[in-house]
Amino acid sequence: MYYQLINFGNEEFHAYPNKSLYWKRLNTLIVSDLHIGKSISYAKNKQFLPPYDTKEILNKIFVSFDKIKPNNLIVVGDLLHDVFSTLSIKDQDYKNLSQYMKNTDFIWIKGNHDKNIQIEGFKNFTNYKIEKFLFTHIPIETSLFQICGHYHPKVKISHRGKTIFKTCFVHNEKIFILPSFGILTGGLDIHAKQISDVLGKNNLSIYPVGQDKVYKL
Amino acid sequence: MNINKSNPLLLHPLNKWMKKKKWSWFPHQIETFHHVRTGSDVVVFAPTGAGKTLTGFINPIDDLIKLKKFKGLHTLYISPLKSLANDIVRNLEKPIKELDLKISFQVRTGDTTPYKKQKQKQKPPNILITTPESLALLNSYENAKEFFFNLKYIIIDEIHTFLDNKRADLLSLNIERLQTFSPNLQRIGLSATLKNKQDAKKWLCRKKPKIVSYENSVLPKIKILESKERIPWSGHMATYSINEIYKEIMKSKLTIIFVNTRAQAEYMFKNLWLINKKKLKIAVHHGSLEKNLRLKVENNLSKGLVDCVVATSSLELGLDYGDVEKIIQVGAPKGINRLLQRVGRSNHNLNTPSKAILVPTNRFEFIEAKAAIEEIKNNNLDKIDLKEGSFDVVAQHIFATACAGQFDINHLYSEIIKAYPYKKLKLNDFKQLINLIQDGGYVLKNYDQFKRIFQLRENKNIYKLVNRRETRKYRMNVGTIIENPMLKIKLGTKTLGNIEEVFIQNLSQSDSFIFAGQVLEFQSMKNNLVQVKRSKSLISKIPSYSGGRMPLSTNLANSVRALLAKSNMRDLYPDQITEWLKRQKNISKIPKKDEYLVEQFPRKKNFYTVIYTFAGWHANQTLGFLLLRGFKEFNYKPLGFVANDYAIVLWSLKEVKEIKKILNIGLLDKHLDNYLEETSIVKRLFRDNAIISCLIERRLPGMEKTGKQVLFSSDLIYTVLKKNEPDHILLKSSYEDAKKNMIDYDRLREILKKIDKKIILKKLTSISPLAVPIILEINRENLSKKETDEYILEDLENEILKEANVLSIN
Repeated sequence: MYYQLINFGNEEFHAYPNKSLYWKRLNTLIVSDLHIGKSISYAKNKQFLPPYDTKEILNKIFVSFDKIKPNNLIVVGDLLHDVFSTLSIKDQDYKNLSQYMKNTDFIWIKGNHDKNIQIEGFKNFTNYKIEKFLFTHIPIETSLFQICGHYHPKVKISHRGKTIFKTCFVHNEKIFILPSFGILTGGLDIHAKQISDVLGKNNLSIYPVGQDKVYKL
Repeated sequence: MNINKSNPLLLHPLNKWMKKKKWSWFPHQIETFHHVRTGSDVVVFAPTGAGKTLTGFINPIDDLIKLKKFKGLHTLYISPLKSLANDIVRNLEKPIKELDLKISFQVRTGDTTPYKKQKQKQKPPNILITTPESLALLNSYENAKEFFFNLKYIIIDEIHTFLDNKRADLLSLNIERLQTFSPNLQRIGLSATLKNKQDAKKWLCRKKPKIVSYENSVLPKIKILESKERIPWSGHMATYSINEIYKEIMKSKLTIIFVNTRAQAEYMFKNLWLINKKKLKIAVHHGSLEKNLRLKVENNLSKGLVDCVVATSSLELGLDYGDVEKIIQVGAPKGINRLLQRVGRSNHNLNTPSKAILVPTNRFEFIEAKAAIEEIKNNNLDKIDLKEGSFDVVAQHIFATACAGQFDINHLYSEIIKAYPYKKLKLNDFKQLINLIQDGGYVLKNYDQFKRIFQLRENKNIYKLVNRRETRKYRMNVGTIIENPMLKIKLGTKTLGNIEEVFIQNLSQSDSFIFAGQVLEFQSMKNNLVQVKRSKSLISKIPSYSGGRMPLSTNLANSVRALLAKSNMRDLYPDQITEWLKRQKNISKIPKKDEYLVEQFPRKKNFYTVIYTFAGWHANQTLGFLLLRGFKEFNYKPLGFVANDYAIVLWSLKEVKEIKKILNIGLLDKHLDNYLEETSIVKRLFRDNAIISCLIERRLPGMEKTGKQVLFSSDLIYTVLKKNEPDHILLKSSYEDAKKNMIDYDRLREILKKIDKKIILKKLTSISPLAVPIILEINRENLSKKETDEYILEDLENEILKEANVLSIN
């Protein structure tokens, strides 16, 4: 898998086209906003999305694990879409997940979607500090470098008369926002108020995610 | 035969009124009255101005008077347009009021107030005038059966607009429902004249089917604009003839200029204003304009307060504008029926001919215009092909049925297959559609606890809605018309109309564009509103609307070919066209009626292959994509292609030596599936399918979704489904829709089946005169969306790297 090199807080990170981020020095895989079980949650309201999202998301994780063999996995929030989500995890998937997690430290940061949900055997945190980096779902007031999720950033690109929207990794000097790792999750323009309130409008580093490659703008 | 003596209508309640107006009954009215009275379902074909509307009401009014103070709903009248429905009410009002007949009648459309609708349900009028969507809604209410219990007639107006689309499918299912409620129901269809009248009869009639037809013997007078200017090689804007068009407007009291797309309408309107020295009153009318603006133009038109209206198909159907003297059709007619419909908008008097002038915008269109005039003389109309009904409409109908109460799936199935479009609906497909409404119909049964409809434990054939709340969702989603994501345009506080989101996305602040005949400057976009102000800019863009393309009818295409093959060119065309074709004859060849000319020549380092199929844009576009693949396979290194209604041009790095080995029926079988996989056609149709089948919602109450968001999530569903469940019924449905509507599969198949024996191959040293128009159309990228996205990203990144003076690290 091709990756894009990103320098953030004087550390090297690798951004992968499957929307995961890798911190090489600590051999740590970071993902965000998986929204596992989103389809089943919608089914409550009789919006029947194809129920394959959970399986696909987990498979994506497993593929990353096989390739990278990380020591740590950090999910910066919204691992699960809601309390119904665990219903969508099949026994076999659960077994596989537990197998993969055996040799991995799993740091599950709570997001707004899954703050009240517990899964047996997995501990969750409001935020988590490693050296000068703080992992949190939504950025807070701090002097640390923050790596977070929540916003599902997308970027609008107009070039040669055409306009496209692409999921992206984006950061300013102090705050890094990951794209959503989910399958049925939408996105928000990085110039929308919610995001620019956090990142500001200028001096952003933007990395749109293409088919097999993460680009740099 | 003495028609007066045998005319039963002389005893009709309306006869007094007719006499007072000094009108006499038409033969087709007498015939229809007789057939309906003796229990037949009837389709009536008659031109505008021949009392068509009244024809439909003759039997209902007669019955209602005889029945005396009949209570409840007796006759349902279905109109394709809301505005037409209102017009029908006005027309019906005159005789009923003047004769003081005790018959109640009302209109019910999306514009009717909830209060009025409620009252109609409690106390229905004798005659209800409505639209297919409002009928579907009425059928979804729990008391639908009681409401329609005594229904005696259903009249379908302009039935020719209801034969080949999803709206027709929806209507056909609801007519069968009415028939179940009221087995004695009789059907009356009213239509403009059609080539395949039998098909319309098959679609509508069940009981002793009858056709009544009245042909107009006065032919319209149509000619091509005699221009002193040079007719351009290509393009669609008719700028060359604008002064001559203006002169034609001045000559007539009231003119409608018909164009083929909304963009053309805006452009024509702007150009006419630029030369409007006589201060003529010119207006513009198209489907994206705000309703009030449209109504104002229509009103001015019917009162004769304007000199000219530039319009798209938005003015084709509908009200009679008696004062219109002349029609100008700018651009290719595309089909005989459409041209006749448009021409018929002038002079609504049966005994005087309609007058029309055709303005071809390029040389091929000149030939097309000529051919169209010939065919109208020969009364050779286009066929409207009946199509098999779409699955998504059945799904919506199942949901509607569940809203009306619990139902037996076997009864529902046997009712549905009575509808003509669904005669061949397989039980298995139907069951999958039941599952689709139940829980999305996925193989993976994840949603057992969250169903929308469920089987009764005591009888597995009976299904019931889980929750009455769902009825509201159905009602928000009813209908088969899906607009592209549109945004409202606001000038100050005034709404001008709707514009495609895609167009706005490509604008930067202070870019100017033309809309509603005004040059506007883009200011901002907030909450789905586009704020604009008036601009004085001379350079401006014109919004394009993706739905604007009308394919060339097979019928007209054939007559274009026949006309081209005729040798006595001098009598047919002006000198410049004759000269063009003569040169073609000398340098290459003019194909005979059943020949397919293929020209090949080198040009600017590349190798060009031009194929003249006359198959219409949809089929040619598909063929272009398939040939691209074929060329790749033979390693000719193709670079791209362009298609129009008449031809395709492909260019490649290498010489295409074995064209006959590629251009045959095998091409379709080999590459079609791959092509559909890769283009966004099926994906786009999947969105429509997902909305029509109520899998995803158009909008939720209290939670306005933008069009973009709907598009977005349906794309996600499509991708996930294709990967995990390629046999899902909605994918199948979208694929079928693509074949039926977007890629002209049947037409292409017909051509490819016989093409290999009829190819005339001409190897030339340079471009031929006939190829010039299509070569001039080469200007756009022919990459799929996925490829385009990657290309844009790649290109932009490189540009930035170059700017920063850093070499790519690859």
